[in-house]
Amino acid sequence: MTRNLTCEELRDTGAELALGVLAGRERAEATAHLDRCAECREYIEQLALVGDGLLGLLPGTEPPAGFETRVARRLSQAAAARDGHVVARGVGKRRERSRRGIRLRIASAAAVLALGLGAGGWAVGMAIENVAAGPARPAQTVPNMLRADLTGAVAGHREAAGEIYAHPGSPPGSPGLVFMSVDLADAGIKYSGKVICLLQRSNGTTVRLGTFHMRGGDAYWGAPASVNLSTVSGVRLTAADGSALATAHFSGR
Amino acid sequence: MVFRNRQAIPWPGRTVYKGMQRLQLPVGRIPDEALLAGLATGDPELAVTFVRRFQHTVFGVAIAVTRDAQLAEDIAQQTFERAWRHAQVYDARRGSVTTWLTTIAHNLAIDAVRSRRPEPVAPEDLDALLDVVTETPEQRALADEASAALRAAVAALPREQGRALAMAGIYGMTAQQIADWENIPLGTAKTRIRTAMGKLRATLAAPGPTRTGPARPDHAPDHEPPDHPPPDPAAPTPDPPRPDPTSPKRGGHD
Ligand SMILES: [Zn+2]
Repeated sequence: MTRNLTCEELRDTGAELALGVLAGRERAEATAHLDRCAECREYIEQLALVGDGLLGLLPGTEPPAGFETRVARRLSQAAAARDGHVVARGVGKRRERSRRGIRLRIASAAAVLALGLGAGGWAVGMAIENVAAGPARPAQTVPNMLRADLTGAVAGHREAAGEIYAHPGSPPGSPGLVFMSVDLADAGIKYSGKVICLLQRSNGTTVRLGTFHMRGGDAYWGAPASVNLSTVSGVRLTAADGSALATAHFSGR
Repeated sequence: MVFRNRQAIPWPGRTVYKGMQRLQLPVGRIPDEALLAGLATGDPELAVTFVRRFQHTVFGVAIAVTRDAQLAEDIAQQTFERAWRHAQVYDARRGSVTTWLTTIAHNLAIDAVRSRRPEPVAPEDLDALLDVVTETPEQRALADEASAALRAAVAALPREQGRALAMAGIYGMTAQQIADWENIPLGTAKTRIRTAMGKLRATLAAPGPTRTGPARPDHAPDHEPPDHPPPDPAAPTPDPPRPDPTSPKRGGHD
């Protein structure tokens, strides 16, 4: 049984709650109050920002030598554990084919993305150690990766409303990946709901890459692309009813 | 829905497309969020770029809380592993990628310390930490205005409030643990946390930038309000439950 707190009582323990150090019955009472009081929720959110800000004051510290390599090894082990069956079959073209086959059978964009992380992670594991172990290069580049600004589908608006990247896939021969961060609010598009992502090819055809959810014009998303990215000239985002939200055109510069 | 353009715009069958040029994209220019999404590509260059970009911050939090290089490294590694596994649950509206990683590292560090040591902090470390956190912004290349204001506000706190704030906010100590450590009544510990947080919140909420230097006149008393007995005499459990470190721990309502 928890007691019903008043707003005033909530504010007695709110700072502890926001910092994550409230426990037991006090915590239960406070969270029960927040469930029914929007004003106090807002108050706690502000205090939580203060807590985040406090952590932001901590000085950065150089990790011990070799840290990157050890992180890489850890990611590699985690990926191997998750994709154990893939690893067991060994490296080679057969693996690439089977991975692509699996991807094509997955309908849900979310599932495809999750799988992309898993299978991609395996590739990370194998290759990342070489990169991390190599000499640090000041300006690293990813060859053949495309980048474009997203432009909101609003008349007269030319400001970038996000960025989109098309990655050719790693290792070479594996499916590419398109990923993006979208911020359409500044263009006046505060759309919330399902978004359809279409790849436009230079021959005029389009391919549906997948769907994702946007809130208030804000989203970030990525999905494997089974099409040859060298034929992709742009990307179009539309709402569920087909109306345009944003477009991007890849062009070298 | 503020979405104005309800008309479907016809998809142009042909575009003024001048041919595909391949880019050698400098990965240093990829925004944080896109870099996080890009971890899914499996590109080792992107993954290492991600680690390089954030390792200072992540390790800084881990070492501040644990004060143990070995443990801090393990926590920093776990942080990157979680980020890599849970990149999909990152929600840009809740804060930057840096804040997200900081929260993950902080939660992991506090859990690790709680499970290893009866005493979370040593007083000399606490004072040293406060000195570092409140050192003047000139010494920090990347101090933005909001964090400069916050830093000044922390510096302006009476020392005992600053200590209580650091113990709760950085070391994750409960009010009871702070009371035991400082040898003060529980109500006093709670009051110190609440008062300190209230002042900092006022700083962040203040319109316009708060300049560094002397803090704005503040009705905060130099001595603390009189103690009142806590409403619930039941002592908090020593280890409050912490939510999943991959989700923002604080005020989580979604
Ligand atoms: Zn309330």
